[in-house]
Amino acid sequence: MLQFLTKRLIGLLFVILGVTFLTFIMGYFAPGDPIVQLLGQHFSPAEYLQLKRAYGLDLPWYQQYYNFLKHLVQFDFGYSYQYKNRAVWDILKDGVPISAELGLWALLIQVLVGVPLGILSALKANSWFDTTNMGVTLAIYAVPVFVLGILVQVAIVWLDQHVGFGWPAANWGTPWTYTWSDIQFKLFPILVYAATGVAYFARLARTSMLEALRQDYVRTARAKGMTERVVVYRHTFRNILLPIITYLGYTISFLVAGAFFIELIFNIPGIADITLLSIQNLDYPVIQATTILLAVVVVLGNLLADILYTVVDPRIKVA
Amino acid sequence: MDIQDQSSESASPGVMLPDTTLAPVLLTPDAVPYAIEGDRTYKKPSSPLQDSLRRLRRDKRAMVSIGVIVSFIVLALIGPPIYQHIGGPYHSNLNGVVGPSQYHSFSYQELGQNTQDQLPSAHNWLGTDEIGRDILARLMQGLLISLAVAVVVEVVDIVLGVLIGVLAGYYGGWIDQLLARFTDLMFAFPGLLFVILIAGIFGNWADTNLSKIPLVGPNGNARLLLVSVALAFTTWPLMARYVRGQTLQLKEQQFIEAARSSGTSSWGIITHHIIPNLFSLVIVVATLDISNTIIGEAGISFLGLGVQAPGSSIGLMIFAGSHFVDTHPWEVLVPCCALAAIVLAFSFLGDGLRDAFDPKSKD
Repeated sequence: MLQFLTKRLIGLLFVILGVTFLTFIMGYFAPGDPIVQLLGQHFSPAEYLQLKRAYGLDLPWYQQYYNFLKHLVQFDFGYSYQYKNRAVWDILKDGVPISAELGLWALLIQVLVGVPLGILSALKANSWFDTTNMGVTLAIYAVPVFVLGILVQVAIVWLDQHVGFGWPAANWGTPWTYTWSDIQFKLFPILVYAATGVAYFARLARTSMLEALRQDYVRTARAKGMTERVVVYRHTFRNILLPIITYLGYTISFLVAGAFFIELIFNIPGIADITLLSIQNLDYPVIQATTILLAVVVVLGNLLADILYTVVDPRIKVA
Repeated sequence: MDIQDQSSESASPGVMLPDTTLAPVLLTPDAVPYAIEGDRTYKKPSSPLQDSLRRLRRDKRAMVSIGVIVSFIVLALIGPPIYQHIGGPYHSNLNGVVGPSQYHSFSYQELGQNTQDQLPSAHNWLGTDEIGRDILARLMQGLLISLAVAVVVEVVDIVLGVLIGVLAGYYGGWIDQLLARFTDLMFAFPGLLFVILIAGIFGNWADTNLSKIPLVGPNGNARLLLVSVALAFTTWPLMARYVRGQTLQLKEQQFIEAARSSGTSSWGIITHHIIPNLFSLVIVVATLDISNTIIGEAGISFLGLGVQAPGSSIGLMIFAGSHFVDTHPWEVLVPCCALAAIVLAFSFLGDGLRDAFDPKSKD
């Protein structure tokens, strides 16, 4: 177990190093001179050199990368190009809790709604419930998240106008507080955000459940006269946990990509929103920080899936 | 492919449609390959490819999807000559009378007040957008772009993925290690983030520099080229991984051993025995990738990093329409539905192809 973990951690370190290098080199070769952008129209050459030195941009690339890594280890992302004298972390700190809240709720709903839906579908295979469930989830899974988001927004606005629904179609309440108005703000973005994952887990749980129900041990359990409830929840459920956990790490990557669209459509000031804004402003330190942050989230998600995997199935320890 | 197929099915006249009378008998085509078709006698057993195509033809969902895809492709291809004639002339304050062939090209954007935001009519089949352009015309332009990007990305994806996947699977060694590390790295970049970064950071640079390439030209196509390359860059590692896995399996099979013992060179084995056997895998993966690519391009354009304003893209239309959700929901619904339809069609076709080529994978 320990050996496996260390091996995984080393691999993880390697991947994160690769990500930092890619993001660094992208910023390094990026067109445009951030110093000129900072100084505006009128500046003297001396001012230019001074500022360039202050940001450490006069060094050769490998030294810049080394400094970049050194600061990164200390969780110091440097200073923004766009907003002078503002640390990158200062810009990010409002967005991180919002995105984390959005993501965690979505992750929770994905599993807690998707998996039971899939199991129910498998238990009633080929019934009308199963057919409609699988049809709807397939459509939701295939349709891009921004189309889904906009369609929901259209529906909310229509309900507001014609039925007097009175719900907000955009914006976000106070992070991590749940008064009625906060819930009104948060409910639909979270549901849309989770929808793709719900569909995915429903389909995954159905397939795995059907396969598990065909196994010999299920027949044996039934032959012994066990109730259907015990067969399903004691025997098969544990076995379908394995693929679900594997894909839990995988869906985090989907969630991170989806955040860009959800936060744009519903006007949520999260970390993806900040990334998009800093891409418009070519504010590389912020872009680099958010990219690395998001990549670390994905990589940690995969690691968590690996660890949970060994917990659920002890045989995998040796791998 | 088609001709072979028709000869084997010459007994039934309606070749393209799934034969409903036979369908119940053939519900499990994988269990009983073709012996069950009793009264129809074959001169020779049909090839696996013919079997697969027959299974595909019986898959109603896949056939409907093919129909949808073909109609979208036709719509996109006949678009340019046709949308020039959609919508009547209007009177501009600056340019006098401007005909439809002019205002659907990129240079004319300001249209008359009375043609904005209209619902579908005999004149504008899908209505008009916020500055009075015909939505059908915009959609056709956007479809062409979606499909062009999909083609470019899939070509790069297939060439790179197959080449590197086969080499990694066949020879192993450092190229295999490199591929494994590289795929790990690309998987750590969450989804579209890499493409968003590339398009966002290098977009302006591409607009000024890449547009000098003759075939690309101005009109914002340069940015599209950048997006395509970035998308291809993120998709090929997965293709390579699949191909590598299949190659590893194929390499151990007896016909490869036979070829090697009869003196076929490695190159000959790869080109004549391994690559042809990858055909079904590559087709299935590529088809499923197409829907991701189309979503990717639309998503990037939706975020404002792909196709730029005067140009048209489904993603851009959705973004433009999303500002008028409360007053003119129609303008956002049309591109949304078009995108959903085309993406679903490619997904269904991919699923159908997978089931047809590998019936065991079903369910």
